[in-house]
Amino acid sequence: MNEKMSILIVDDERIIRESFFHWFEKSGHMVDTASSGPKALEKLEKLPFELLFVDIKMPGMNGIELLGRVKEEYPDTIVIIMTAYGSIETAVTAMKLGASDYLLKPFKPDQLSLVMEKVFHQHRLASEYHYLKAQLEEKTRFDNIIGQSPPMEDIFKIIPEVAVSESSVLILGETGTGKELVAKAIHAKSRRSNGPFMAINCGAIPDTLLESELFGHQKGAFTGAVNHRKGLLEVVSGGTLFLDEIGEISPKMQVDLLRVLEEKKITRIGERAPIDVDFRLVSATRRDLEKEVAEREFREDFYYRVNVIIIHIPPLRKRREDIPLLAEHFLQKYCHETTKKVDHISRDATAVLTDYDWPGNVRELENALERAVVLSKSRTLGVEDFSFLNPTFSPVSGRRSLREMEKEYIQEIWAECGWNVTKASRILDINRVTLHKMIKRYGLKRPAS
Amino acid sequence: MNAQSSTRIRLGVVALGKIPEILPKSIAAHISGYLNLNTDVLPSRELPSYAFKRERLQYDAGIILKHLEQEHLPNYEKIIAVVAVDLFVPIFTHVFGEAKQGGKCGLVSVYRLNDEQDDSAPLPPLLLERAAKVSLHETGHLLNLVHCTDGRCLMHFSGKLADLDGMPLYFCRYCGAYLRDFLKQ
Repeated sequence: MNEKMSILIVDDERIIRESFFHWFEKSGHMVDTASSGPKALEKLEKLPFELLFVDIKMPGMNGIELLGRVKEEYPDTIVIIMTAYGSIETAVTAMKLGASDYLLKPFKPDQLSLVMEKVFHQHRLASEYHYLKAQLEEKTRFDNIIGQSPPMEDIFKIIPEVAVSESSVLILGETGTGKELVAKAIHAKSRRSNGPFMAINCGAIPDTLLESELFGHQKGAFTGAVNHRKGLLEVVSGGTLFLDEIGEISPKMQVDLLRVLEEKKITRIGERAPIDVDFRLVSATRRDLEKEVAEREFREDFYYRVNVIIIHIPPLRKRREDIPLLAEHFLQKYCHETTKKVDHISRDATAVLTDYDWPGNVRELENALERAVVLSKSRTLGVEDFSFLNPTFSPVSGRRSLREMEKEYIQEIWAECGWNVTKASRILDINRVTLHKMIKRYGLKRPAS
Repeated sequence: MNAQSSTRIRLGVVALGKIPEILPKSIAAHISGYLNLNTDVLPSRELPSYAFKRERLQYDAGIILKHLEQEHLPNYEKIIAVVAVDLFVPIFTHVFGEAKQGGKCGLVSVYRLNDEQDDSAPLPPLLLERAAKVSLHETGHLLNLVHCTDGRCLMHFSGKLADLDGMPLYFCRYCGAYLRDFLKQ
């Protein structure tokens, strides 16, 4: 029925302590009393009281001194100051030191009710804040990126260093390596962490729509613009914008973004007045932008603007020692989500996972574990639970034939292109039809999940 | 409130000092009707004069309660005393009533419950209703209930007449269930 709090009454007058004690006891709170400041501090050391009622005039340590000590040592504790001899100066001092309210004794009964309402509200807000902060930290914390291999250790070291600067960051890595996680970790560690983090996949949005998404538009600026809309560059102000697959951005959009990065202003489509924006850009790509710059397929000025700091995330096959750790993490995650009781992965299955090449990287490993947990009939995941993994791509010891290498290379590029044959054929510099034939000839298959 | 087997607890309503006769009767009828307790109106007693505090020109509710607990009332497990004087507890400017949680004696003051200034006028029905609400609230404390956050429950703390008037003569379902359980024990 009631919101229960732990309350400490600090007053040198016994009848006041008793009166408070009985009143709060009748309201169902956990209440204790202390007759002086030092005794109150002693009790605070033993029990985390959430609310303190402190009288100002006490022998020895007065209420204002006690307030200062409490706010210094227990900043989350709510303190209400009370006195029989009020003055504006002491009220101002108390509030400046962090008191939540100031009461003149004796007070009207409804006055205490109002103060308690305010305290409950403050307490609820603080609880919500701590809960949401913990949730956010859980989502963005650095150790969500799992790895103990030397290249990952290097990344863990560089993230806090990069976070404190305002420079643009370019994250390179194959698909599924966790580029967005690194971007989130940079944001979480930066001074912009209280601002928004917004991610947009440039490769998934047509160019015209991307322009409207980023810059916003005025009502009637184009067919379908039925309302005013703020662009992401405006909404993300004060925070971090993560542009994934930046290599997919058209040359025109590269020019527009370059201007925004230099001038820190944007103009909504259909409007003339520029708007100030303040965001940090973190971008990512799986393409070799340096090569594309050399081939004039990507603007050089834009490239140098976005790659002030480069973080390279290695593919999973180049940090195989992380695979058992990641597999264990995903096993726990999906056991929790599916409430299935699967305790561990057998040694043989771990060896299969470690030997597999993971063209889809961590994402593919996660999907594999999810599938294995969902379909598993026993408490241990065995080799048979991962039979869906294509065994042709486990590393072949010794020398390999040209045919094997070709087969593996096609699979790798195809996976990198998100299993898009047109894109893969462009990279392989062969005809789409030819690629289809080769996929069929080698019996290549995209993973079921 | 439908307490079925609460006949073990006997509650006495006693006037301390000069009080219109109808008030203890009305209070006793309400407590009996709402809580199904065996309720009697006891002969009135003297108000302890030492509970009056000159510096506040009010009576200390705590002192009256202590006085009442020492009175010889062996046949009653619970006592509700009614006074016409202004009551205070050290932290508050005034109280409508006072009782310790799970205690034996509760106190109800009608001093601030009457808006009518004319003492010769008959007691308004609103005063009887207010006195009944405060008495049921204090009896709730004697039966171990704490304050309730539901503003429409008799156990909600009300410091103003407006709050008291806005509250129906009703225990919320949680407090009602608690009382039923308590009275069954």
